[in-house]
Amino acid sequence: MKRGDTGAAALFLLPLLVLVVGLIAYPFGRAIWLSLTDKLVGYPERFVGLRNYEYLLRDDTFHEVVRNTLVFTAGSLALKTLTGLAMALVLNAVWRGRNVFRGLFLLPWITSTVIVALTWRWMFDAFPGRGFFNSVLIDAGLLRRPIAFMADPAGAMFAVIVANWWRGFPFFGVCYLAGMQAIPPQLYDAASVDGAGAWKRFRYVTLPGLRHVMIVTLVLSFILTINDFNIIYVMTRGGPGTATQVFATYSYEVAFNQLRWGRGVTISIFLVPVLVAAIALVSRYLLRERE
Amino acid sequence: MRHRVTRRSFLVATAGASAALALGVDRAPAQKKAASLRLWILKTYVEPTNKAIEASAQRWAQKNGGAVTVEYFTFEDMQTKYVAAIENKNTPDVGQLETSAPARFAGMGQLLDLTSFSRQIEGQVGKLPANVAPISLVGGKTYAIPWYIMAAFWYVWRDVLDKHKVKLPTTFAEAKKAAEAVNRPKDNFYGMGQSWNRTADGYGVMQSLMYSTGVGWATREGKYRSIKTPAMQNVMRWATDIYKEGLQPPDTLTWTGSGNNENFIAKNIAQTSNGPSITYALENAVAKATDAADRKKKEEALANHLALPHPGGPDGRRMWAIAMSFGIFKNSKDPEAAMSLVAHLLSPEETLTVMRDSYGQFAPVLDKARAASQEYFNKNENYRTFGKAAEWFVPTGWPGPVTAAAAEVQASNVLTDAPAKVIVDKWSVDQAIDWEDKKIKEIYGSLGA
Repeated sequence: MKRGDTGAAALFLLPLLVLVVGLIAYPFGRAIWLSLTDKLVGYPERFVGLRNYEYLLRDDTFHEVVRNTLVFTAGSLALKTLTGLAMALVLNAVWRGRNVFRGLFLLPWITSTVIVALTWRWMFDAFPGRGFFNSVLIDAGLLRRPIAFMADPAGAMFAVIVANWWRGFPFFGVCYLAGMQAIPPQLYDAASVDGAGAWKRFRYVTLPGLRHVMIVTLVLSFILTINDFNIIYVMTRGGPGTATQVFATYSYEVAFNQLRWGRGVTISIFLVPVLVAAIALVSRYLLRERE
Repeated sequence: MRHRVTRRSFLVATAGASAALALGVDRAPAQKKAASLRLWILKTYVEPTNKAIEASAQRWAQKNGGAVTVEYFTFEDMQTKYVAAIENKNTPDVGQLETSAPARFAGMGQLLDLTSFSRQIEGQVGKLPANVAPISLVGGKTYAIPWYIMAAFWYVWRDVLDKHKVKLPTTFAEAKKAAEAVNRPKDNFYGMGQSWNRTADGYGVMQSLMYSTGVGWATREGKYRSIKTPAMQNVMRWATDIYKEGLQPPDTLTWTGSGNNENFIAKNIAQTSNGPSITYALENAVAKATDAADRKKKEEALANHLALPHPGGPDGRRMWAIAMSFGIFKNSKDPEAAMSLVAHLLSPEETLTVMRDSYGQFAPVLDKARAASQEYFNKNENYRTFGKAAEWFVPTGWPGPVTAAAAEVQASNVLTDAPAKVIVDKWSVDQAIDWEDKKIKEIYGSLGA
């Protein structure tokens, strides 16, 4: 490469560099810095080293937040994977109207998260004559009094997981369907000739063929789910008590209500190593697929 | 419903203005050049109030040849908006501030010192009651001037209580007894609906309960004080027994801001703590009745709902409430015009105009407006109670001054998370108090008084 070419290349790369530094590197560096300060809203920050991290490691609410986030993320991902797979298998087997169904299945994914959260809140509502599940069960004579689904920790966690699952499973389904359609039909034919039934074809042809797609979708969804704010904030606000408080909602509460920005940012920073590992994993698979 | 200026209120206002002129009372600073101001106000559920405040601001703009851009915040995004504005140095000229905000924002150096301004306009707008004054003062200086109190009252269905021959509750203990008497879970009707959630319906009532029982987490000087006391045990027992004993709908803890309104209006519960928005809804329902039968039913509901003073406790009746003040931000490009706008909004005439469109939720604080509002609040039993909101008010961090630490105790939700730990996580009362006390101590330890 000539010297002139290098100069031109640097010039063309400059806008990208400015974008990367301005939109990614600076905010991230600033967040790391804030986590090392006692920054309160309206006051200048003071360097306090790792004090915020130490505080959170001792904070019982934060321990609960970590537990809740893991349960919420794991539960949502498990449900999304299973139903996404089921959706893809069904759509893959159906030829007539496949595109129509594919469009319909995508509806939850393209609906506003706040609408999804409000809808599920209504579905689980215990207000007499209003909550969908309670109304159906009472009208069917199976219940006399409404069940307060979201009044206990397990029920509330279940409700927010269901809402997150419902919103996210079409993404899994569509990705898996694309993956299934990329599997050469000859592999299924060969397996059938060898006497493999439906289960064995799924186990030994479909699943291995979907491996990369599954990892990528899982990791991408993991990143979005572990950072989810809207569903929980709208449905439970982290309650009852702190039963559904997760990283995003706790970080918001500490930063905006308690005005402790340094600590609020630190809560989010705790997730960074996990997210970096997840992003590295996705990148690795995406690059390998490209090769 | 838009009220006209009555002859009496006109005479009161005219007499007040004439007296002020005759006595040579200092008036608000005259505004000289055309000003352009940003005013942030709270958007409440009662839309006519929002419009009335906006109209009042525009009257000032018209009178002074200036411009006022009114921007709204809600209870939901109040903190977020102010935090973002403060950090981005984009605060409004004038902002409505909730109970704890003056202490928080003044501590940050965001608010103008209004000490001499408040003295200057006192003759024009009136004096502040001593119990409300702490919300405007930080370190002996005035940083905000309270306008109105939006209090919670104890709503009961009078017909339900009468049917069971239960007297109207005046204390938290009596409210629980009343709930026990009228509770019919089999019919999905419950004696009470009090949620310990993350809204003023939760932390506000908890503070009223604590303060009325004589429990405060701060001293008179605003320093930390332990709440590990027998009185706090009583508070926590009351707060959790109403759940444990099945006196409330099972989903009460999940209610957000509107859950108690809806359940009360639907007559699923006999009692709840709420602002006058319930009365607003019931009055509106009558106006929207579809036929004679519907109208009769709604009129009966309106007549049977009763807003009582918030219950007291063994130590008296102390009611925490949302008290909205005006503060002027240091970033204001035209503080003189901002002061002129504040003086205009606080004037008894403008206050009364806004109040008349508030369905009782706007209880003036300054004495001149309070005196002039008596006729309005004499409308019926409920309104007479609404009009007394300022008398029972106590601020966050009672008996001490409002401090940033006291505000954070409220904002951190420990006050309501503690009973939730007993109800949901089955902690003991003492365990929950220890946890709450530790959290409060930590806040005061890191912020000081």
